[in-house]
Amino acid sequence: MKTQILTLKSYDDHKLWSKLKAGDERSFSLLFEKYYGDLIHYGNSFSPFAEKVQDCVQDVFADIWLYRESLQEPDLIKAYLLSSVRKRIARLYERDHIFKKISTTDSIEFLFDFSVEHELIDDEATAESVLYLNKLLNELPSRQKEALFLRYNQGLSVEQISEMLNVNYQSANNLLHRGLLKLRKEWKGSFPVLVLLSSGIL
Amino acid sequence: MQKRNYYIEIEDFLADSSFQLWILFKIDEQGWEEWTLENQQRAKLVEDARLLLLAMKVPANKISSSELTAAMQATWIKIEEKENGNKTIKHNPVRYLKQYWPGVAATLFFAFLSLWSYHNQLDRDNSIITYKELIEDNKEGLVEQTNNSDKPQIITLSDGSSVLLQPDSKLSYPKIFTGNERKVYLCGEAFFEISKNTQKPFFVYANEIITKVVGTSFRVKAYSDQPNVEVLVRTGKVKVSSNELTGTSKNEIVLLPNEALRFLRKDLSFNKITNITEDKALVSSVGNIEQLSFEFTDIPVEQIFKTIEQAYLVEIDFPKDKLKDCHLTTSLSDQPLSEKLKIICKSIGNDTNFEMNGNQIVITSQGCN
Repeated sequence: MKTQILTLKSYDDHKLWSKLKAGDERSFSLLFEKYYGDLIHYGNSFSPFAEKVQDCVQDVFADIWLYRESLQEPDLIKAYLLSSVRKRIARLYERDHIFKKISTTDSIEFLFDFSVEHELIDDEATAESVLYLNKLLNELPSRQKEALFLRYNQGLSVEQISEMLNVNYQSANNLLHRGLLKLRKEWKGSFPVLVLLSSGIL
Repeated sequence: MQKRNYYIEIEDFLADSSFQLWILFKIDEQGWEEWTLENQQRAKLVEDARLLLLAMKVPANKISSSELTAAMQATWIKIEEKENGNKTIKHNPVRYLKQYWPGVAATLFFAFLSLWSYHNQLDRDNSIITYKELIEDNKEGLVEQTNNSDKPQIITLSDGSSVLLQPDSKLSYPKIFTGNERKVYLCGEAFFEISKNTQKPFFVYANEIITKVVGTSFRVKAYSDQPNVEVLVRTGKVKVSSNELTGTSKNEIVLLPNEALRFLRKDLSFNKITNITEDKALVSSVGNIEQLSFEFTDIPVEQIFKTIEQAYLVEIDFPKDKLKDCHLTTSLSDQPLSEKLKIICKSIGNDTNFEMNGNQIVITSQGCN
């Protein structure tokens, strides 16, 4: 879905980016319109303070415009934007009076919950499995959830995720892998095929 | 193209955008259906990946075009401000006023805080946090009011809350509350009446402790002649915690009606007092405002104004002749001063208004209904 849109439009993103760097306001607006919603949504997964998140996202764009001339061209514009928003929120947690003194978390926590695609489920057995899987997913540690979200919903590569979460490639891979591994373990009866499968069969 | 023939894990499918497109949007450009049916084990794997995708929905994030336009405008304003290096006016005041006025509904709590430091005893201790320190990291847009007079002064905050600042005390507060919390910093003694807004909790930072309003109405009270901070609750619920700057572990205490708390600054400990009537120190220092009743049954308006004058130490100027036969029945407990005045004016009649200027309140009226 989003990944698809992303691959289809990634060329456009780079075009927009280079025009933006040259001072084209329209390209800046287009990029803003394209990603503002996603970024707000991502930001809201860290903070219950919607207004602060809006501020952060707007600051990210404001800085892009102000420092456009010195900006590098990122591999994936969206990954760059997501990462910038994340950093800004993390900084807010570090600096803000209330956050600093009220919250005890060292790093920011991804508080997002996955939901279920009800519209695409037509039988009860599927509904039951999906609901159960959804519950398991949402019980995963927040970093694993965030990695899964970035990988499969936002279409980021493992490298990009590792950069964003400030861990090495292997750790990012582990975050993704461990999350799904746990699901499989919990969901024993339903995933036996994975044990049987070897690459040779296919 | 046929890299999918080598897919052996669910992850491989999940990351395949054309697979996602097929499952979630039923757009099968690459013949996934047919491919799946070729092999039974493959079908099982595909089914598992499908279930997982269905369980990983990210709710569509719809932002209306008007919201988007507003956000874009806000961003351009930010850009302009940053270009001008003008970082003090960070927010568009009009935007925030609009958001806050509807929230000024009812008073949620009465708070009375007095915090005096025993400098001689406490100065050498690192854990002691001063008012200066508190406002230092938060200077942006704070207004400071100091009461050097010998009478309490009334301050009305941008959310409609009122603060009765005692002599030799000061309060720092933002001219307009922005963001999703309301924070003020106190040095000395003050009586707070905070307007209700569950979305935007109200925090009073005072020396080493933070008082947070959780629910309905409450009153907090502390003493000036002891090296400690005291909080007393009448109704509702209040949370008190130590400021993490003290280096102590996070300590949060919930206070319910008729419970109090004494914070010993010297050893940073909390003492909860569950029976306030047995604590002489607490009982003896009840201010005007706490003794007066704001429950009025068929009472002349003049007398109601007198009560308010006594409680808040303000002067109310009103047309005596026009209001001499007016009686009101109303309950004004737990309302900030501005709310009380608003309710009274509304009850008297539509042509009645008030204006507040420091300690001076002027009522204009054409008489009651």
